[in-house]
Amino acid sequence: MDPAKYADLFLDESREHLAVINNQLLVLEGRPDATGSVDAIFRAVHNLKGMSATMGFSGVARLSHAIENVLDLVRASPDPPDQELLQLLFQSADRLEQSIDDAVNGRESTDVNQAIAPLDSFAGSFQPVDAETESQPPESPPTAPAGTRRLEVRIRRDALLRGARAALVLQRVAALGNVLAVSPPQTSMETQAFDGRFSFGLQTDQSDLEIEELIRGAGDVESVTIAEAGTDTKESTAARHVRVDLRRLDAIMKLVGELTTAKAGLIELAAGRSDPTLEAMTRKVSHLVEGLQHEVIQARMAPVSQVFDRFPRGVRDAAREHGKQVVLAIEGREIELDRAILDELSDPLLHLLRNAIDHGIETPEERVASGKPAAGRITLSAHRERAMIVIRVRDDGRGVDRDRILRKARERQIPGQNADNLKTEELLELLAQPGFSTASSVSDLSGRGVGIDVVMTRLRSIGGSLDMESEVGRGTVFTLRLPPTLAILPALIAEVGSERYAIPLTHVAETVDLDARSTTRDGETDRLTVRHGTVPLSRLRDLVQLDGTGPTRQPVIIVQVGERRTGLVVDRVVGQRDIVARAFDMPRGTAPFFGGATVLGEGEPVLILDAARLV
Amino acid sequence: MSQTVLVCDDAIFMRTMIGDILRQADYDVIGEAETGVEAVDRFTELKPDLVTMDIVMPDMGGIDAVREIVKIDPSARVLMCSAMGQQALVVEAIQAGAKDFVVKPFQPSRVLEAVQRVLA
Repeated sequence: MDPAKYADLFLDESREHLAVINNQLLVLEGRPDATGSVDAIFRAVHNLKGMSATMGFSGVARLSHAIENVLDLVRASPDPPDQELLQLLFQSADRLEQSIDDAVNGRESTDVNQAIAPLDSFAGSFQPVDAETESQPPESPPTAPAGTRRLEVRIRRDALLRGARAALVLQRVAALGNVLAVSPPQTSMETQAFDGRFSFGLQTDQSDLEIEELIRGAGDVESVTIAEAGTDTKESTAARHVRVDLRRLDAIMKLVGELTTAKAGLIELAAGRSDPTLEAMTRKVSHLVEGLQHEVIQARMAPVSQVFDRFPRGVRDAAREHGKQVVLAIEGREIELDRAILDELSDPLLHLLRNAIDHGIETPEERVASGKPAAGRITLSAHRERAMIVIRVRDDGRGVDRDRILRKARERQIPGQNADNLKTEELLELLAQPGFSTASSVSDLSGRGVGIDVVMTRLRSIGGSLDMESEVGRGTVFTLRLPPTLAILPALIAEVGSERYAIPLTHVAETVDLDARSTTRDGETDRLTVRHGTVPLSRLRDLVQLDGTGPTRQPVIIVQVGERRTGLVVDRVVGQRDIVARAFDMPRGTAPFFGGATVLGEGEPVLILDAARLV
Repeated sequence: MSQTVLVCDDAIFMRTMIGDILRQADYDVIGEAETGVEAVDRFTELKPDLVTMDIVMPDMGGIDAVREIVKIDPSARVLMCSAMGQQALVVEAIQAGAKDFVVKPFQPSRVLEAVQRVLA
């Protein structure tokens, strides 16, 4: 074999093993008697040894071997590892990571021997009391729940809101017992591509007949198939995996995107001629394309744990360095996101976490003095909120000090900021300005002038948004909102004059008619009264500097990001389309409220409005 | 005796239409509500067999109203009335305890099918 071909795969999997090693070392640090952690570390190191030897990375292999030897002794010893040994293992894990990076980049590490020496000398000095009893800890096999059945349900093709119907089915069966392994996951049932077929495991003692009757009672159910899941559910539900290069998935996704655009063209073509054969074929093609699109999107989804699990080690190290005590809690590890988005998240999240440790969490003394527990708490969580994935970094530290930021803004003569009416959003914008950081001293972590602006730019480029809420003395919450997939997003197409623009549906709350009677003037802005109060209006015609006036009846698109809303006045709402966002290098001078571009079925290029910039 | 219904929607047009569909099928529309808060109040007072609930309403939306109603009576039967494009909201409503949903624009036959399913 040609090892070079496997370098990416090697690197990918190595990172997973390194994450396991670091996280389990952290567990051990808290509970040195956690033998399960020693075993997990041992397995990871052992795998790394085998992988690196296969790749011909002898330095990595030798270092892994030396670590493995030490771990072997730890496993055999009745005493838990002490702090000194844990420190040695932490250091060795770092060296291991470094040597892997070096090896992949074609540099054979020279200092592997330096890393191996202390491990070998430890192994030499170690006198196990009872070295012969090398027993594999028995792994208790997962007990298969009895009475588990596998169900496949198909919602009628002509049913409206098939995803909601599926949710209704799941809600009903949940009353009978435990619902397991729903496929596809509910997030993707809410996309247009969901074809109404889904499956799940159900643990219940009800009869098949009763189950089927209950499911059919949800309405619009075409068929129900029930099968015994066998005694070992693990086997029946465990997917068989194959690793695929992300670039290959990107290429397939891009083709599917083109296909989606072509499909839209075909639909319009068919609509123009009343030819039943063409219409039938068009329906068939569009159904197939939607199915394909759905499958590819699924293939791209990965749980956020893949990124979240890298952080505990970094947080621990940063806390130590700053003399802070920090407990990191992680929630919602199973939430799934497009891999490409996930990859982009690592740096911004790390940045926010470091920021929380450096600026948010106080020293233990300060905390105790203000009546808080000595250890600060940072919570990293993921959950679904409607069509978006929401990730939060919450700390219970000192909060953002407005006065200090304002002072700094004045020093730098950033105009227009006034302490009394500075809203949190404006504060965030201020913090987001390049080079604006309130760290009084430059530390290794943050405060290097690379601040929230980097995070925001990164997030915008993938269609997300960032919000901050803070309370002095209580802490700060950063909220990231992201689309679950980059690939294809439903959007509203709006028109002014003869120009068309796309607004991602994830940020559209509703559309209403512009009614002069419910419009009021508030200084420079017009405000429109809608159900829950008033929203400021902006006119797309003005934004894109189009002369002339629109038609007498104009629709208003209520755009919402988080709690902020604005009404966008357009000439006409053309309709809803699935669009494929394309990377878009903004020419200099492009108005800042464009977030990308897409091509409609007719081949017409259309700019995508960035909702976060409008509200 | 015919079964009783409370119709909740902030648009008179929708309330009238739903009411007519139901009355023609011999259901007894015993009350109407224009806001979520009103829906909860009327539910407590009238104890209807069925509630039809619009999602977007002023003064507490339909989903929160479902939550409140289910808190008052876990066996309450609520039918959501949604528009296309509100799928995520409908799912939220179902998770909050709504028993079924219909999608605007309403077809009388679909509304009645859903009502029968919920009351079954």
